[in-house]
Amino acid sequence: MSIFDKLGGKKDDKPKADFSNVQSGSSSTAAEPAPAPAPAPGPTATTGAEQTYTVVSGDSLSKIAKRYYGDANQWPRIHEANRDQIKNPDLIHPGQKLRIPGA
Amino acid sequence: MMMQYSKRISLSLCLALLVVAAACKGKSANDTAGTSAGTTVRVTDIALGRSIGGDKAIADKTDKFKPNDTIYASVATDGVSPNATLRAKWTFEDGQVVDESTRAIAPGNRERTEFHISKPDGWPVGKYKVEVFLNNALSDSKSFEVGR
Repeated sequence: MSIFDKLGGKKDDKPKADFSNVQSGSSSTAAEPAPAPAPAPGPTATTGAEQTYTVVSGDSLSKIAKRYYGDANQWPRIHEANRDQIKNPDLIHPGQKLRIPGA
Repeated sequence: MMMQYSKRISLSLCLALLVVAAACKGKSANDTAGTSAGTTVRVTDIALGRSIGGDKAIADKTDKFKPNDTIYASVATDGVSPNATLRAKWTFEDGQVVDESTRAIAPGNRERTEFHISKPDGWPVGKYKVEVFLNNALSDSKSFEVGR
């Protein structure tokens, strides 16, 4: 503690200025950067949410599992989630809408 | 005697070649140093004033302001980048932050970006500073004063 503190308070106890109501802005002759490109359409990496996939010609449960989970051996998960419409896992039809459980 | 003389010449030539090679290497390192920072844009000037023109340049340069002035900082940049960020940090006296504004720009070549601040109930009298950061690196700063 300095001598100033002892002799009646701090030397520089000036209150801080209040700048809470400062208004600011900016503008430029330069263009704004282009927005980041939108993610490509199509199946995305698996998340916690369930997704829907429409079967196209040539699809199989393994192919769809590979696409969504990165592992063809995960096809039983899709089969389980769609028991109501897939009786034979080797037989799916174009146009069928399948539930794809999240990861 | 002749052999010794020829040896000396060979040695001198080798030394000269080494010096030239070293000089060339140094030059090439210097040449690339300017672009190795990852940006081709640089701040060339900061000007302060009370108003700006359509070209974002200060119409009336000053570093002395009145409490009710709007304070403009016009930042000139040179260079091309698809994405650069300019930030203006305004501080009062001992470093108390008054305001910080950021603007993303895609400069085409020589550009000007203005930042401005105002305070409806007037600026406290004292010394201020504006620091300009380009891509988060301090580029330049200007001091100014608000008086009655």
